[in-house]
Amino acid sequence: MRKIAGMLIVLLLSSLLQSFGQTAPVTGTVLAEDGKTPLIGVTVVNATTKKGTQTDASGHYTIAAEKGQQLVFSYIGYGILRLNAGDAAKVVMKPSNGELGEVVVTAMDIKRNARELGYSVQRVSGEEIAATQRENFVNALQGRVAGVTITPTTGQAGSGSSIVLRGFNSLSLSNQPLFVVDGIIVDNQTLNQTSNGGAGIGLVSDMANKNSDYTNRAADINPADIASITVLKGPEATALYGSQASSGAIVITTKRSKGNGIHVSYDNSFRTQKITRFNKVTNAYNSGTDGVYANIFQAGSGTFFGPKYSDTTKLYDNVHNFFRTGFTQSHNLGVDFGVKNSGFRFSASYINQDGVIPNNNYKKLNLRLSNSTKIGKYVEITPSFSIINSVNNKPLRGAGGYLLDLYLWPSDHDIHDWQDSVGGKATLVPNNSPNAELDNPVFSVNRNLSQDKNNRYIATLGININPFPWLSLAGRFGYDTYHTDGYMLYNRDSYNVTAAQKGALENYYLKYWSYNHTITATATKTYKKFNGRLMIGTMWQDNETGMYAVRGTNLTDPMGTDSSNTDPTTRTRLLRNAKGEYNMSINRNIAYFGEAAIGYNDLAFVSFTHRFETTSIMPAASRNYNYPGISASFIPSEVIPGMKESKVFSYWKLRASMASTARLSDPYANQSVFVNNLASGGGYAYGYTNANPNLKPERQKTYEIGTEFRMFDGRINAEVSYYNTLVKDQIAQGFRASYATGFILNTMNAASTRNKGIEAMISTSPIRKKDFGWDLTLNFNKMWNEVLSIPSTLTEYYIADTWVYANARGGLLRGGSTTTITGYHYSRNNKGDILINPLTGLPVIDNTFGVIGDRNPDFTLGINNTLRYKKWSLSFLWDLKVGGDVFDATDMFLTVQGKGIKTADRENARVIKGVLNDGLQNTEKPTENNIVVLPYRQQAYYTNMPEEEFLQKDVNWFRLRDLTISYNFGKWKKISNIGAFATFNDLVLITNYRGADPVSNGNTSANKGVGGFGFDYGNLPAPVSANFGLRVSF
Amino acid sequence: MTKNILLKYACFGAIMAMLGTGCKKLIDDAYTNPNADVEQPIETLLPNMISNLVNSYTANGTNYGTVVDNYYIGRYIQYWCANANGNQYDKMGGATGSSDIMGNMWAAHYYGMGQNLNKVILWGTEQKKWDYVGVAYALRAWGWLSLTDQYGEVVLKEAFNTSRDQFDYDSQAEVYDTVRAVAFRALSYLDMTGDNVSAANLAKGDAYLFNGDVNKWKKFVYGVLARSYNHLSNKSGYQPDSVIKYADLAMSSNEDNAVYTVANETTSATKNYFGPFRANIGSLVQGEFITNLLSGNNTVFGVADPRAYYLIRENFNGTFKGIRPNYGATGTTGLDTADLPRNYWGGQYSSSKSLDPRYLYADDSPWPVMTATEMQFMKAEAAYRKGDKATALIAYTNGISLSMDMMYNYPNNIPAGKAMTATAKANYMANAAVVPTSAANLTLTQIMLQKYIALYCFGVSETWVDMRRFHYTDTDPATGAQVYAGWTPLSAADLYINNNQKLVYRCRPRYNSEYLYNIPALTALGALEVDYHTKECWFSQQ
Repeated sequence: MRKIAGMLIVLLLSSLLQSFGQTAPVTGTVLAEDGKTPLIGVTVVNATTKKGTQTDASGHYTIAAEKGQQLVFSYIGYGILRLNAGDAAKVVMKPSNGELGEVVVTAMDIKRNARELGYSVQRVSGEEIAATQRENFVNALQGRVAGVTITPTTGQAGSGSSIVLRGFNSLSLSNQPLFVVDGIIVDNQTLNQTSNGGAGIGLVSDMANKNSDYTNRAADINPADIASITVLKGPEATALYGSQASSGAIVITTKRSKGNGIHVSYDNSFRTQKITRFNKVTNAYNSGTDGVYANIFQAGSGTFFGPKYSDTTKLYDNVHNFFRTGFTQSHNLGVDFGVKNSGFRFSASYINQDGVIPNNNYKKLNLRLSNSTKIGKYVEITPSFSIINSVNNKPLRGAGGYLLDLYLWPSDHDIHDWQDSVGGKATLVPNNSPNAELDNPVFSVNRNLSQDKNNRYIATLGININPFPWLSLAGRFGYDTYHTDGYMLYNRDSYNVTAAQKGALENYYLKYWSYNHTITATATKTYKKFNGRLMIGTMWQDNETGMYAVRGTNLTDPMGTDSSNTDPTTRTRLLRNAKGEYNMSINRNIAYFGEAAIGYNDLAFVSFTHRFETTSIMPAASRNYNYPGISASFIPSEVIPGMKESKVFSYWKLRASMASTARLSDPYANQSVFVNNLASGGGYAYGYTNANPNLKPERQKTYEIGTEFRMFDGRINAEVSYYNTLVKDQIAQGFRASYATGFILNTMNAASTRNKGIEAMISTSPIRKKDFGWDLTLNFNKMWNEVLSIPSTLTEYYIADTWVYANARGGLLRGGSTTTITGYHYSRNNKGDILINPLTGLPVIDNTFGVIGDRNPDFTLGINNTLRYKKWSLSFLWDLKVGGDVFDATDMFLTVQGKGIKTADRENARVIKGVLNDGLQNTEKPTENNIVVLPYRQQAYYTNMPEEEFLQKDVNWFRLRDLTISYNFGKWKKISNIGAFATFNDLVLITNYRGADPVSNGNTSANKGVGGFGFDYGNLPAPVSANFGLRVSF
Repeated sequence: MTKNILLKYACFGAIMAMLGTGCKKLIDDAYTNPNADVEQPIETLLPNMISNLVNSYTANGTNYGTVVDNYYIGRYIQYWCANANGNQYDKMGGATGSSDIMGNMWAAHYYGMGQNLNKVILWGTEQKKWDYVGVAYALRAWGWLSLTDQYGEVVLKEAFNTSRDQFDYDSQAEVYDTVRAVAFRALSYLDMTGDNVSAANLAKGDAYLFNGDVNKWKKFVYGVLARSYNHLSNKSGYQPDSVIKYADLAMSSNEDNAVYTVANETTSATKNYFGPFRANIGSLVQGEFITNLLSGNNTVFGVADPRAYYLIRENFNGTFKGIRPNYGATGTTGLDTADLPRNYWGGQYSSSKSLDPRYLYADDSPWPVMTATEMQFMKAEAAYRKGDKATALIAYTNGISLSMDMMYNYPNNIPAGKAMTATAKANYMANAAVVPTSAANLTLTQIMLQKYIALYCFGVSETWVDMRRFHYTDTDPATGAQVYAGWTPLSAADLYINNNQKLVYRCRPRYNSEYLYNIPALTALGALEVDYHTKECWFSQQ
């Protein structure tokens, strides 16, 4: 396959070079005002022959003309330019009317004039991303793009982040977008701990994705290499990328060589980080029950319900004493050099981050070499090669992790007394087995070790061939491969293992290998006032993930992290590992697609796309599928008299698009597997799961309408979009139904959702002066969503991983929102009064899962300011979220243990508002509760609180995400430019949330469906960061 | 465009086409799950399917089959009782709440054999292993019959559709038709030879039932057919000749019996469910009715039965006493302490074990699934109903004889002098109350009671069908006496509260399959009523 692709390239190259080499037309490049940015789609007409062409993606054109003939250059938003054919090698065009001929990179690395697009695209510059100093560039997108939701897992170094564009469409498959770098698909997996009984790609321990964290692999991309990011959210934009982009695409263009000469740039950054946000706790009470002292330290509930510590008891501020000041250094080097027709760019980046948690460290090294070479007159190649190494040393999180134990730690005990005389785990209760007591947090981060080492190589090759003025061929070929070597060690004294296990160690080795290519041929034709474009192409993708994992117990060396350290008889492996082979997940796709676009007089555009896909994930019967897309845009300002010249309202565009797409399950979700028969005779029998062979891809239909306008000489640019997505035949996995299916758990196309929203983006330049400028951008998003159907057997559908603590989970009900939280709640009478147990005076709890909250915010707004004064510049991004509920599981965990802040006033007697559950509760006159409860003596007041009590409604935040102030010293001696900057991250958080930080995720970014955002359980909030650095270029 | 350029385009097109073909193969190759087994040799699927006749044990689910349900159903027919008062099932109660009790046959048919069986048919057909296909159909026929006899209406037409999430129920009459259709299909495959049919190969999967003997499988299928005709004795279209025909074609000697053996290795999965290792039946004690039949206290036969030392257990006084259902606690049995029955492992009146289990109560006991003795009793009943009493008597005598002979296969731990011998057998059978000297004297009571004894322990399902056919207390028109003479139904006060004073006639479908996930169908069926288990099945209705 790869050989054939290679042959194809060679053949194309050689043949085209030969056949078109003899003609000698006039050629040239058309550039924007800056003299650098190529303009594409500029119409070039020979005034004599009346024949015309358009510039290609590099701004090149070729036209038949004799010396002396005049060429006419015209481009939307630009003035008309007439030049003699002899003077037209380098043409610089100036915009008219302040309108920028914005070029955006869309699907397939195709550069398009924004005006033509019938759908929303939003762009963020690489400088803006890099200026945030965030190692994981995904985190820099929040607030900068309307409709983007970024949820980092935790505030620890190396944390993963999940990204969702325009809300949740699929209930059980991934809602994360496709990542594309220079036209090549790049992997953004997050290691998934769930292996489905060892049959999948995951850990042997087959855990839910909640007790550790793994970096999402897009974080490997060096922010300093990014020239720009285009976020394709809409339907049409991704129709061409197919099923894998049904949740949108993040299209990244990297920096390329600027041309001849050598340019060197270097910048660095030194950062300190401090954790400033904590859960509120009370440390006033000793251990015990109902106010009576007992020397207990419980794992589940009810530890600190003893008497108050005496005034003489020495109390420790363990929570503050635990964290350290994080320190990060990063260095970026860029070297740019060019010779003749070839330009090179080399970049290197090194980050070493010590997180605020002791022992938490993230190191990353990026090396990249890219080139752009012209071969002959018609061919350009753009290869690149990247090496990325990262090491992440990380603590355990969530249940069994350091943070919950830290909050819970008895305040009369110094956490630094964590070792006994022989270096083992010190216990709080004498003679307790160390395994019976929760882990001291210092012990936890020093003895329960976990690490991921990742080595990644990405090689790409871009080929552009422009044999005729009207035809361009483009090929994008990419290899992306990495391996992750990791382990998770539980010390033999840890609470997370039993005494008999004597420690546990899981080692895993994940290898990812991917090849993909996209080959397109695009023809353009201008006829009178019509512009036509026809593109056909093919895409091939082969993604293979392999996993080797072994888990064992009975460690010879309690700190040894090599799998040989475990007792061989205790070792368990993934299914296929037992045969000495990798567990594999292979996903191959081939697609053919086409696009036909017609533009009329540069004011109306229509484009049709169609894509035919074949995937290895589906069985032969449903393997082939196809879907269409259509988009249109119309510029009324071109036809409304006087509008184009108006200073007030100069540009108006209307757009609409519609497309369907498909979404695929993970590989093998349609093949039931056999398990061992243990009864006499052995052999095999089907396992519980109906991996349904009749599965079909999910079908998604989206339409989008929008408008764009410019006012006041381009000082205000605004666009508004409305989108509406229906996803039918959703693949529901692992749900129960009648055994009549032949199985216990089932996989079927049996759910549907509707997701719609409004996005608005307004960018203004209130001040535009030579020495002083102010740009303000607003990104607004509001979403609605609804679960139209779930499998008929179910009253509630949920992703099991979201069940992180107690009885609350990301449960969905028919007719409800896709972002609801279900959980246990108070029993109420038909008037809504809480029922009170007449014997105890405590509320009656309804121990069934009902909707207790909805995580979907009312709206989000990103407010991005950039101020420039002479050599100073200041930019800051506020992120506003209004509404949306959060389940504060951390608070619940602490409350049932007598540490939560709710328990601080336990000595005040009270009567719970409600009516007695005495048989009269649903009558006209229910009995008002008047039973006095003193929680100090009745801890059940706290320990029996339902999940509903810890659901915080309508959580708002107003967060200063990034603030950068920089000064440009200008030229100094041989240094062409020196700059200095200070950047602050997460500096200000104004919120009504009572926990530490409302940005929370109970799971990792490996989770599917709606995921675990809005579940705050043992989450470390984002620390406050201050970065200082210098930037020089030669 | 020049010819040259056209050629280039042709080349381009050809290469694209080549790419397409190459890719297609790569895509096909990547479809199959490489990690876990999505296909297994059918020889390795059969052991689990066979275990579902009795009791299964896989990595994903255990105890499907008949034996666990029979632990409860055995109390409905008073084979045994709980050694405590007021047990819900002693009181003929059905499963309640979120319990899966008596739902194991449901799981065995739909899940345990379920799609495994479908795959044996599919792959067996592809591989031309017609014997395996026949065996699969045989098990499916047995499954449908056992299923519907236990639950009444079941999911038939929509069953095994992996793309449905709701399933309608079908009438029992349709299930009976299906049983026969599937049975005949089984026979036609079992008749096939050549291709890849091989006794040695069938033995690989069939090591624990018939060891690859296709003729025995055919007899098994005939047995299913005989049962299916016999169960309809109350119907106007009852065909006694069909019962006789298929009973004659079915197993005729104890060597033909379908007996599920166990490997009895170290793990409980390979041991008999009723054995002491698995410790499941410690709180069961023998019922008063069976004990009276075997001890001679029941006046119909009036003599001690040499099978008693196998089927049940003598007390510390050395006598045989049983317990009335619902009155099992030591204080309420009405028995002296030394008269209290021991449990089936010889332990005291509690869950304790002795180490001398007998008969089917040992860890390694082979478990009869369908036997020649049952065939003879079916034939006897059919001939009797037909009026051919001479044939009935011969079959009846054969039935007793075969049942007695079966004891020879379980010699362990029988007290000295109590083991079955030809003399003991002959003495018993020589009694005119047991075997009438004249065919004219044979009664339905004798047939049904001897069948009740012969099927004791392993034949709970079939005995329950029999008793339901006689509505537990129907009288014999010939004698005017209760057919199950001496069998005392529970008083209205002793019946479980949900029964609304009615006797039990069916099990409710498995809770975790139907009562959580198939509510609309259950509602249509009336299965949500608390006394659904007292609703009589179609098969026993007139």
